[in-house]
Amino acid sequence: MSCQRLRNWIEERYDVEEMRRLAKHKLVPVHQYEIWYYTGGIAMFLFILQFITGMVLSFYYIPYFEHANKSVIEIVTKLNMGWFFRSLHHWGAQLAITVLFIHAFSTLLLKSYRKPRELLWVSGFILLGISIFFGLSGYLLLWDERAFAAVRVATGGAGNLPVIGGLIKAFLRGGLDVTGDTLTRFYAFHVSILPLVTLFLIGIHVLLVQYHGMSVPLSLEKKPQRQIPFFPNLFYKDLIIWLLVLGIMVSLAVLLPPEIGKKADPLAPAPENIKPEWYFLFLFQTLKLFPGDIMGLNGETIAIILISCGILFFFLIPFFDRKSSRGEKSVLFTWIGVLYTLYFIVMTIIGFVS
Amino acid sequence: MKRIVFAVSFFFANALGLFAQDKAIEVFPAAPYDRFIIFQALALFWIGIIGLIVIIRMKLREIERIQRMGIDQEQKDTPLLD
Repeated sequence: MSCQRLRNWIEERYDVEEMRRLAKHKLVPVHQYEIWYYTGGIAMFLFILQFITGMVLSFYYIPYFEHANKSVIEIVTKLNMGWFFRSLHHWGAQLAITVLFIHAFSTLLLKSYRKPRELLWVSGFILLGISIFFGLSGYLLLWDERAFAAVRVATGGAGNLPVIGGLIKAFLRGGLDVTGDTLTRFYAFHVSILPLVTLFLIGIHVLLVQYHGMSVPLSLEKKPQRQIPFFPNLFYKDLIIWLLVLGIMVSLAVLLPPEIGKKADPLAPAPENIKPEWYFLFLFQTLKLFPGDIMGLNGETIAIILISCGILFFFLIPFFDRKSSRGEKSVLFTWIGVLYTLYFIVMTIIGFVS
Repeated sequence: MKRIVFAVSFFFANALGLFAQDKAIEVFPAAPYDRFIIFQALALFWIGIIGLIVIIRMKLREIERIQRMGIDQEQKDTPLLD
């Protein structure tokens, strides 16, 4: 079938012209903070790359505790370009979570969550949580001693939550301790449950962005706005940034391939100086601030409760910030946003350096 | 005697291996030729990316120029042949 015939075939069945007109007439605001608006597109691009590299790796990975570590070693050492795809998947995950954090904090500071975009914030927040769980579940699939110890600590921390902690811990581990069952469970999360939920949430998130349009910061809302068409202007700008991100990701994958540790041994002691992945460092450092015992109560439990309250408040900010919803300046929530951002950055750096 | 000396030395030679550090797994091709090819491909990849960015940038400028001139807009009273 020639190209023209194929085009006619499609145009007879679908209103392509209408879709083209819609894309051409979709306008986006241009202002001094627009650079932060590209982070959403970058995150989606990285998600697509993660799906592709993940699918390639899943052809060779064996999700069974006896063979998991060996299969990763074989992917890296025996398969043609296996090391590259594994490294791409690793750095893609790191970059995706970094970009998602930047996206979340820029949304918080620009107050893009305000009415009527509360559900956009909610879906984005859940996506961030899922991405972190993607990271944790993917980390265990290595089945080396560091991953094993990290997951043991992370699931143990979740177990310190009162009332539901034990249930969450048992559900995540699939038993009393991290075992082969946990690996199977995390594999199921990593390759089927989380991708499905992610696809669904990305669909809702993108649909809501299309429905509401891109937000304009409060300080610029009353000023006259310049607008440009989404297609082709913004689309080409997006393409340029995606190409740069792809270049950075490939360079990191080539120059800093992630290492593989020794196969996990449940009976061996945890390796020295063990640290969680960088996006858990702020939680790890916060836990360190608390003593083991506070007025007869378990210090870790109190820390986990306080951290959970902090995260819950962060999640519900659009519903607390009434002033921004009314279109008024809200200094308090600007400071709260700055405080959250600084706390995350400082604690992550301290955790990394110490 | 010879056999005993041989057995003892064999035992110590193997036991020393237990104290040796584990060999790290090679996560990047070790052969110099492979490394050269990989770094060369990375350099070419970046040249390709920069080239594509230059082309897209030129295209974007042209689109913006046309939009500034207003000739991308459809005229409302264009006569139609029907």
